[in-house]
Amino acid sequence: MNTQELVTLVPWTFIAQICNLFIQMYLIKRFLFKPIREMLAKRKELADAQIKDAEAAKEEALAMKAEYEQNMADAKEKAGEILSTAQKTAEKKSDEIIREANSQAQALKNKAESDIAQERRKAVNEIKDEIGGIAMEIAGKVIEREISEDDHRKLIDEFIENVGGES
Amino acid sequence: MDVNVVGPKVYYTLPFDIPVLGPIQITETLVVSWIVMAIITGLCIFLTHNLKVENITKRQAFAEMLVETADKFVIGNMGEKFRGFIPFVAALFATSVVSNLISLIGLRSPTADLNTEAAWAVVVFIIITQQKIKAGGFFGYLKGFTQPIPVLTPFNILSELATPISMACRHFGNILSGVVINGLLYAALALASSKLLGLIPGAVGAVLSNVPILDVGIPAILSVYFDWFSGVMQAYIFCMLTTMYIANAAEG
Repeated sequence: MNTQELVTLVPWTFIAQICNLFIQMYLIKRFLFKPIREMLAKRKELADAQIKDAEAAKEEALAMKAEYEQNMADAKEKAGEILSTAQKTAEKKSDEIIREANSQAQALKNKAESDIAQERRKAVNEIKDEIGGIAMEIAGKVIEREISEDDHRKLIDEFIENVGGES
Repeated sequence: MDVNVVGPKVYYTLPFDIPVLGPIQITETLVVSWIVMAIITGLCIFLTHNLKVENITKRQAFAEMLVETADKFVIGNMGEKFRGFIPFVAALFATSVVSNLISLIGLRSPTADLNTEAAWAVVVFIIITQQKIKAGGFFGYLKGFTQPIPVLTPFNILSELATPISMACRHFGNILSGVVINGLLYAALALASSKLLGLIPGAVGAVLSNVPILDVGIPAILSVYFDWFSGVMQAYIFCMLTTMYIANAAEG
């Protein structure tokens, strides 16, 4: 079998090798770079989508947190309001109760005073009557005569009037 | 005993002659080149079938690593705007490495034929020239030869032409030297084993002396340098020079 020279240039082999290089370039591009790059692009897309999702979730969480804080603040404010209202109400009520108690005590005192005064008047009247009786007895004994009942009463009244006026 | 280191075999010559370019020959170089291309393409298809976006296999991780290495090599040496050269450089490197290493399975490397390297170097030279013309315009390119003084013009032309020649010859010489030394070594070891086993007397020695027993194992040690190291190194150097020259040319 023929052999080529060890170091020589053969035009057709040379041209064929140039073609082979470009065919090989196309084949590598088609079968290695293209699928790998497509896959890498897909992976990048996926990663981007995941990052976007995570960002959206974070934003949502932040919004929820803000809302929650707002709610908390509202609740606190409301609680404070309720508390202060209750305090005010209680104060008012206690004032009212005290005032009522005062007035009741006053009323009781007044009643007691009027009772005392009535009792006193009653006692005074009783004493008047008794004194009248005693005086009449004494007078009957002193003058030893019967006076008519009318004169009698008149006399007593006169006497009491005098006593009462002096007392 | 004769030792012949010959060029690639010519399997078939087409019966008609083409003027100027001579006859079309199907040589060992071409056949092995096609085998190399089939191996590379088959490897690419094997590596990239059934690609997944996540939960990837080791095979896919390796394919991704290859692509990323090629990207890093080209972009690192030439810059981002030369992305388009990635497949070219990758093809150059893959073909060169596989061609150099295919001698390990007993085939003749296509790179042990100057035609192969010359073809690659001429393609690189054309790209360099095209980049230079693109950067400085046609007259700027011509004017570049007269720099810094017109007297240097012949030397500048010489150095311009030396670029592809040196690239091709460097690669070719390294691979050919491996082929030559391996051929010599096999012949020498065969001779040594035949003499050694010929010492056994009688018919046994006569039969055994025909078996080149020393050829098993020992050449593998040299093949570590001549095939593995030199083969990968030359492919790397060739691609490195390609990217450097093209990037320099584009800078004007």
